[in-house]
Amino acid sequence: MMRQRTDRLALTTVLLLAAVFALFFLLPFAGLIQRALADGETWETARSGVVRDALWLSLWTSIVSLAIAVLFGTPVAYLLSRATFPGKSLVDAFVDLPIVLPPTVAGVALLTAFGRRGLLGQPLEEWAGLTLGFTTTAVIMAQVLVAAPFYVRAARAGFDEVDPQYERVAYTLGASRLRTFFQVIAPQAGPALAAGMVLCWARAMGELGATLIFAGNFRGETQTMPLAIVQAFEGALGLSGAVALSLVLLAVALVVLVLFRLVTSRLRVPL
Amino acid sequence: MTLDFDVRATVGPFAYEAAFSARDEVVVLFGHSGAGKSVTLQFIAGLMKPATGRIVIGDRAVFDSDRGVDLPPQERQTGYVVQELALFPQMTAAQNIAFGLSRGPRRQQRVQQLMDGLGIGELGDRRPATLSGGQRQRVALARALARDSRLLLLDEPFSALDESLRTTLRRELLRLRTTLGLSIVFVTHDLREAHLLADRIAVFDDGRLLQFDSRETVFRRPVSRRVARLTGVGNVCEGVLRASSAGYVDVEVDGLPLRCAPMARQLAPGSVVDVAIRSERVVLRRGEQGGPNTFSATVAEEFAYGSTHTLHLQPAGPGPSLEAEIAARPYEVLDVAHRRHWTIELPPEDLHVMPRSE
Repeated sequence: MMRQRTDRLALTTVLLLAAVFALFFLLPFAGLIQRALADGETWETARSGVVRDALWLSLWTSIVSLAIAVLFGTPVAYLLSRATFPGKSLVDAFVDLPIVLPPTVAGVALLTAFGRRGLLGQPLEEWAGLTLGFTTTAVIMAQVLVAAPFYVRAARAGFDEVDPQYERVAYTLGASRLRTFFQVIAPQAGPALAAGMVLCWARAMGELGATLIFAGNFRGETQTMPLAIVQAFEGALGLSGAVALSLVLLAVALVVLVLFRLVTSRLRVPL
Repeated sequence: MTLDFDVRATVGPFAYEAAFSARDEVVVLFGHSGAGKSVTLQFIAGLMKPATGRIVIGDRAVFDSDRGVDLPPQERQTGYVVQELALFPQMTAAQNIAFGLSRGPRRQQRVQQLMDGLGIGELGDRRPATLSGGQRQRVALARALARDSRLLLLDEPFSALDESLRTTLRRELLRLRTTLGLSIVFVTHDLREAHLLADRIAVFDDGRLLQFDSRETVFRRPVSRRVARLTGVGNVCEGVLRASSAGYVDVEVDGLPLRCAPMARQLAPGSVVDVAIRSERVVLRRGEQGGPNTFSATVAEEFAYGSTHTLHLQPAGPGPSLEAEIAARPYEVLDVAHRRHWTIELPPEDLHVMPRSE
């Protein structure tokens, strides 16, 4: 009797906690939609040139950032998973650092390295006439620094899950390291790689702090969606402008997420 | 296909050293896990690099530290099968087998021929996840054989399977060895498996090869107390050598003089030695003790294993405590269950004397 009663009490508590938690996540979205519907100018604002420019910039820079993260991050993740070399734990820690680093700090750090007075930025500008700070390139650099570690982490975990015996057997069957990676290892780590790509892309899409400091906020050049939202909120458009822009970003994110689910469920290999 | 292996290396905490060979036969690498068996296969396959030594497969040196030869695993043409099998999950059985074959019109033909040979001809389109344990095993074997490897390296390939399946696959392996003229290096920690498959056995312990010899010699004439223990010798008794000649060796064990089989090496009288006596070679007799190599003993404890019984024997006078193994039928006929006092006879040819190893 006693035990049954405590069990029921525990169950009620769990359900209550879950309900409160779920509400906390759902209410902001409800608020966003309610505001947008109540405001007559939402649609108008969402279709304005500022939004179009910011959205386009956000989309293509985040995809370029993702491509860079995959191109450079995949070998790093594979090495971290398979190789042993001196200083490995140090490299490991450095890869994770941007994840815990506040993006604004990342922005300041980028400025000190690649800005006009930066470590590499100054010689670059003096000898090659190349300016990185406050350009679209800077937007991409900020996104890569902040977002790529998410991909590397996920990819490394994915490679860790693949037994090294696969490589051994493939090598004895005459397969080169390259062929083994692409035909044996990558397909098995596929779902983890894809999950890492989504995380990385989403982080790049949402990047604000580092971009603001290192790239600035110039429409059409460095003003991505998150920056446009801040500007709308602080400027003439006010809250209703921010609501409209937020909805656009939210819709894009949802579409990408659903597409990703569809694609990966097709890819998944029965293990 | 022949294999000559002679290698030294440092592997983790221990110094590795081993030398053995295979001549169209099954060589079983036997020992506890971590003894250096799997590492040996990786040296042969080229997956790990030894410090010094020489590995020759057929007439080709694949590793030779003196001449700076170290062929990559891709060029050594060994068939390597691991316990986990490592079948590529996203490929079908046929694609797995074809993985090591070069593209061409004969590829499909070769794959089908391999599958038919192993009795999985109908399973080519199936993914590994949909196959049974035994079927997967056959796919892995077919894949390892596809590149005309004449040297198979098998790392505990059957340990994940149930007993009846293992028996079938072991027989199949022996058949393949004969029909294809293979040399097989087979890693196992299973004593019965080692006994069934081996032409010759290499006993490993802590990264060292303790003994390499024919199956009969390793099981009946272990070189040391350690090898005796590893190969399941139930009794290893300390004794003192009293006299030795070409035909026999006399050893005193716990006050009891025992005539034993002759040793390969001559030792001075008074030397401390170990005597190995396999449990199944201990003879129980009715009647009074008499004659050489007999003493009386009492059954102190016994364990029934179904097909056999293990008895712990306590000597009444001088003589060693022994473990004896007796089959179920003689156990019943002799009525061991109700008779506690026995005369024990130890046939001289079954008493193997080993020099004391520290």
